[in-house]
Amino acid sequence: MGTFIIRRLFWTIPVILLVIFMTFVLMRQIKGNPFRTSERAIPVEIQENLERKFGLDKAWYVQYVTYVKNVATFDLGPSLVLRNRDVNDIVREHFPRSLELGGLAFLFAFVFGILIGALSGLRANSALDYSAMFFSNVGYALPSFLVSTLFIYFFALKWNLGFPTSGWTSWQSKVLPVIALGLAPMAGFARLVRGTMLETLQQDYIRTAKAKGLRWRRVVGLHVLRNSLIPVITAAGPTLGFLITGSFVIEQIFAIPGIGRYYVTAVTARDYSVVMGLTVLLAIIVILANLLVDIMYGILDPRTRDARA
Amino acid sequence: MRIRTPWLLLAMLVASLALVAAGCGGSDDGGDAAGTDGGATTQDEGGAAAANQEITINWGAEPPSLDPGLASDTTSAAILLNLMDPLVLLNEDNEPQPSMAESWEISEDGETVTFTLRSDGKWTNGDPVTAEDFEYSWKRTISPELAADYAYQFYGIVGAQDYNGCKKACDALAEKVGVNAIDDQTLEVKLTSAQPWFIQQVAHTSFLAVHRPTVEKFKSKWTEAANIVTNGPFKLETWQHNSQIDIVKNEEWRDADSISLTRVNGRMISDATTSVQAFEAGEVDVNPNLPTEEIARIKETEDYEKYPALGTYTYGFNVKNVTDVNQRRAMSLAINRREIIDNITQEDQLPATGWTPEGMPGYEMINPSSKWLPEEGDLEQAKTLMEQVQSPKKNITLLLNDSPGHRDIAVAVQAAWSELGLKVTIKQQEWAQFLEFIGPPPDKSIDVYRYGWIGDYVDAINFLELWKCDSGNNSTNYCNKELDALVEKARATADNDERYAIYAEIEQILLGDDGDVPIAPIYFYTASYQERASIKETFSESLLGQVDLRGVEVRE
Repeated sequence: MGTFIIRRLFWTIPVILLVIFMTFVLMRQIKGNPFRTSERAIPVEIQENLERKFGLDKAWYVQYVTYVKNVATFDLGPSLVLRNRDVNDIVREHFPRSLELGGLAFLFAFVFGILIGALSGLRANSALDYSAMFFSNVGYALPSFLVSTLFIYFFALKWNLGFPTSGWTSWQSKVLPVIALGLAPMAGFARLVRGTMLETLQQDYIRTAKAKGLRWRRVVGLHVLRNSLIPVITAAGPTLGFLITGSFVIEQIFAIPGIGRYYVTAVTARDYSVVMGLTVLLAIIVILANLLVDIMYGILDPRTRDARA
Repeated sequence: MRIRTPWLLLAMLVASLALVAAGCGGSDDGGDAAGTDGGATTQDEGGAAAANQEITINWGAEPPSLDPGLASDTTSAAILLNLMDPLVLLNEDNEPQPSMAESWEISEDGETVTFTLRSDGKWTNGDPVTAEDFEYSWKRTISPELAADYAYQFYGIVGAQDYNGCKKACDALAEKVGVNAIDDQTLEVKLTSAQPWFIQQVAHTSFLAVHRPTVEKFKSKWTEAANIVTNGPFKLETWQHNSQIDIVKNEEWRDADSISLTRVNGRMISDATTSVQAFEAGEVDVNPNLPTEEIARIKETEDYEKYPALGTYTYGFNVKNVTDVNQRRAMSLAINRREIIDNITQEDQLPATGWTPEGMPGYEMINPSSKWLPEEGDLEQAKTLMEQVQSPKKNITLLLNDSPGHRDIAVAVQAAWSELGLKVTIKQQEWAQFLEFIGPPPDKSIDVYRYGWIGDYVDAINFLELWKCDSGNNSTNYCNKELDALVEKARATADNDERYAIYAEIEQILLGDDGDVPIAPIYFYTASYQERASIKETFSESLLGQVDLRGVEVRE
């Protein structure tokens, strides 16, 4: 297991280099001037001063090598647009918020998704199953911006339940965005668990377990659930990565100072250093989330563990 | 046994939901987010000052920089102007009033301006504010090392453009810049020509002073709440980026007695729908961020407030493609500006009657009330004119940036122009690409493009010089030497009325009866707000989009 993890971590280095290179090339391919933010044109002198200051007057390969060197020393450079801030500051200050939001939403989705899915699977085709699946389908189909806006309208404004409309300060302010973000993946988990559960329940070993007189609770806990969770874990890795990195809409609507808001605005503003820095960061997160999944496989399914040892 | 397990799971689910619900219920008493206090006192209207002088403003976005040298947007400017004491402050009529400068003197030829500073200005660390602070700050902003976007604001000062464009060994050029602190209280500025608007221009945030020791000590981090040293009526207390910026009254300020507000909490809710919900939930007292879909409803409430802004929304013609002046006139005539304002933008903007917006000093003299910009459009005349066009450009590409409002206007215009037999293709681009595409020079495929201009300072030159041949903002390919000559003449004309007369001539060249019509202005901008009744009387936004909190008071 140890060598497996080390080998996987080692492989992240070429992946990151490739990510930097591709972002670097793509960002320069789309037109746009990071220093012109409004209709107002920038005089030539000032444009030159800015390019010199941020090293954009150098050849592209010089810029690339300098950037890679800086990344190796954990220096992601200054923002080209937010002139008093470094990308390191932005990551340090805002990434924990996105991590918290994504992590909580994931936890919500995972716990309730499995609960609802398991209930539905065990009571297949009952009223409970139908209503749970109806709820899940709706949750899956509704876009998060609509869910968020409705949440704010009803829970914060109309019924005055004590939730603020926006922000990320008190725990009350975290409830709505976490649920809004976690709703779709929760529905996804629920449907997945229900499906695999039904399949597992048909298996011979379940019948055997029942036949040998094992208590039903134990059958479900030990055999059904455990075997149904493998595909769920497979889906969980990318979902966790997506929730941490893809919460832009939720951050925007709930005015949460996370990293997602910076990411999207940086692309629009052509803030090269912010885009690159955050892409590198997010690549690392996705790689780590997948690594985590592989480790989980090992725990849930001894066969995969043996194959790698 | 078989039945029980699902019920157990269900019970757990219900229990956890109940826990969440219980948590929500318990928060009603005192657990609310900061900022409701201001809202709570606002139910009754009246005249007396309220005991609680705290308000919460939604600024709508993170201020990109609180460094006067680097700030170039209205959010940063609005906050900065309350943290700092400018030499001059514009009053409601946009006339310069003494603030940190107690007076100023302009030489006979108009080329030397001497400011006399007050002696009681103080930085928040106790240091006195001196003329040297201003000299240092201005030269810092002009310096090529800082690479400030707004350095060009100083180009009217002797030697500033040379210093800003300098590549190496720049110290000698810095010495030559025409800004000199004669003594602690006297600041002398030498201009390249008489620029009567210079005093107005000094009210802009680029001309504020910074505290040298702080800037040198903390470098680019000097604007963080823990480091910043300011000299205005408010102090920066907290700045959580992209979330919260709270300023409090500076009790040590020279005129602190005149300031009513004790604290202004700032939020940065950028989503317009959430902003309105936050206002309606009482979390913010001022909200400038209104979604178009909601304007009609909000306008009916007593919270709605509207301010004129010094800006013009226009369409520009690429005159190399749409070559015939009669076609351009016809296209401008066909636009029903009233309909666009009433049905699409809905913020009671003023239909444009020229390029220079209403509210500009000398507006009555300058504005031509162009016959090519009828409020409700004139399709008949447009069709007649169109018939005279020898070889019209039939296929028109209209370029916009991709926000929904622009598209709705474009669709209305497209319909009007199709009446003239034109086939209009609307092309939308993402902002940075759009800017790249319009140039100047504009991409060859563009026939018409959307453009907006908001003034930097209150003089029409700021609008009219846009259409000079070599202007970096002229994407029309339009070039008229006569217009260029008039702009130069205006620059050298100190007398206001004489200068306004020249401006009027320029407007005639652009949009007069025999005008070249390189542009088809649509409306003059306004700014819409939601404001709590308790501060509605005293809160306002200036023509340049600045929010001065000095005079704001929460009333009972």
